Amino acid sequence: MLFLSKVAFRYLTSNFMQTALLISGVALSVLVFVFITALINGLALYLTAEVTSKIAHVELEPPNTVARILTDNDRFVAAPVSTFRRKQVRNWQQVLQLAEDMPGVTIVSPSIDGSAFLARGEAVLPVAIQGVLPDKVDAMADLSSNLIEGNADLSAGGLLVGVELAEELNLKVGGPVLMRSERGAERLVPITGIFKSGVSSLDRRTAYISIGAARPLFDLPNGVTKISIKLADPDTARAVAKALQDATGLKATPWQEKNKTLEEATDAQGRTGLFIQSFAMIAIIISISSALLLSSYRRRAEIGIMRAVGISRSFVAAVFVLQGIFIGGIAALLGAGLGYQLCVILASFQDADGRASLPIAPSEGGYFLVITLTIIGAAVAAVLPARAAASVDPVDAIQQ
Amino acid sequence: MSEIVLNAQGIIKTFTNGEEETQVLKGIDLVLPKGRMIALQGVSGSGKSTLLNILGLLMKPTSGKLTLLDQPLSGRSDAILSRYRNQHLGFVFQYHNLLPDFTALENVAFPAAAPAGRLKRDIRERSHMLLDRVGLSDRKDFLATRLSGGQKQRVAIARALINSPNLVLADEPTGNLDSKSSDQVMRLLKEINRADQTTFLISTHDERVAGFCEERILIEDGRITMTGSQ
Repeated sequence: MLFLSKVAFRYLTSNFMQTALLISGVALSVLVFVFITALINGLALYLTAEVTSKIAHVELEPPNTVARILTDNDRFVAAPVSTFRRKQVRNWQQVLQLAEDMPGVTIVSPSIDGSAFLARGEAVLPVAIQGVLPDKVDAMADLSSNLIEGNADLSAGGLLVGVELAEELNLKVGGPVLMRSERGAERLVPITGIFKSGVSSLDRRTAYISIGAARPLFDLPNGVTKISIKLADPDTARAVAKALQDATGLKATPWQEKNKTLEEATDAQGRTGLFIQSFAMIAIIISISSALLLSSYRRRAEIGIMRAVGISRSFVAAVFVLQGIFIGGIAALLGAGLGYQLCVILASFQDADGRASLPIAPSEGGYFLVITLTIIGAAVAAVLPARAAASVDPVDAIQQ
Repeated sequence: MSEIVLNAQGIIKTFTNGEEETQVLKGIDLVLPKGRMIALQGVSGSGKSTLLNILGLLMKPTSGKLTLLDQPLSGRSDAILSRYRNQHLGFVFQYHNLLPDFTALENVAFPAAAPAGRLKRDIRERSHMLLDRVGLSDRKDFLATRLSGGQKQRVAIARALINSPNLVLADEPTGNLDSKSSDQVMRLLKEINRADQTTFLISTHDERVAGFCEERILIEDGRITMTGSQ
């Protein structure tokens, strides 16, 4: 063992209670840091997972057509946008194949989206219709698991509606409803199932139909209006969207673009957490610095003896910096370990419906960060006491 | 002519407190030859401790020249003076002699182990030998706090000798001991002086202590007024 380490360790263990209290205090700050980090990250993960589990991570649509500027000798002419051309993806099978081959893509689902009115008796309500492949009805949102009545089999041409829509129009499974599309087509369709996703926009204003049934309603015999993609890691949506946009020329929108509020909310949470983490770090630095400063004053005579027998200032300073690092290291490991245990215990608490009471993520406690920051902070905190110790005048100290 | 360990010429030390200046040493000329055991005597406030601190490189003189083993020390950095203290000088103080959280052996080894980086086997063996020499080998693993006053002072003597110094400076080394322990410590210093030819400069008020030394230096009001052999 290095003699320097031996001296630092001996100083720490010589006053066991004081050192134990100091380590406990620092470990508590580390525990708070871990808990706050795990809670904030857990909440962000929970909210993101809740949102991304029910929506597409990347949506591919035909690009917006804009008026082109043409030059005609010495004047500019704006070429008008055709209002007769339907926005659709004609080569959707090729795009589907390309997207499926892309790394990280788990599900690709083409759809024909449009607006329609559902009428039952005197009641008429506008709805967003999604025409999907029957075997991919659960591709974007897990509707089958959220069914409260009927089934999710759209192959017979039926309609799957949300619970709030069903209540407003008094729809029952097996019963018919009149659908009038934005293209003017009308059809009487049976209700196949009623789902409750918990997302109001889905439960209140969205209905699912098979893509085959949607084609005549929206007058799209071949193309699709949208290709929805799910990814293994939703955080990669921006990169995947860019790659797909470059490869296909279609407009690719990552889910974050359509959920800016969520991103802003999680960012705001992160900033709040940063404040609390910073205060925890400041508390660590102040407690270590004050304890070591007191120690350097209490040991002035001993430091004087050391200096008198020719021990260098740097050795004396290093003894105190090393004490800070020991305290920081032990407290960081202790606090991080206890913080993890606390997070695991809190994460195991469940509500009556089986969901976690606290959206805490024990694995997201920022353990490496907090251990590194605590050790660095402890070393920095020890600089002032180390300087004070190194500047002790041996003559003054010995004569005390 | 005997080898000169330390040579001080025209040492003046003035302390300043606000606008008030006090000259404690008023031109000290002193030569310490190798192998001598010298008593430094004088009343309180005569400048003994200040002179000892300057000769021990713990304090810088206001003016004057100091050479240690023919090496001039004026203008040397604190780091170099620390190294000189560590390698060539030994100290025995009246109080605060030992580091309380370390064993007798660790206290002895400290001045050698700290610069070396670790408590090497040769340092450990030499520490053990020195403790044996001062009659405390059976107390080597005792914490300093568990030793008596006389034992602490003997450990301090062993520590002063760990780096085989040329000069040992002792400031009232028996001032805190009873007469029996005092005689034991002084006999030990005398024995080391004779055996190792180590130079000792011992500051003392005690005539019994001074009686162990072969030379005396009397300092009065910041000046050496008498030197002599006995």
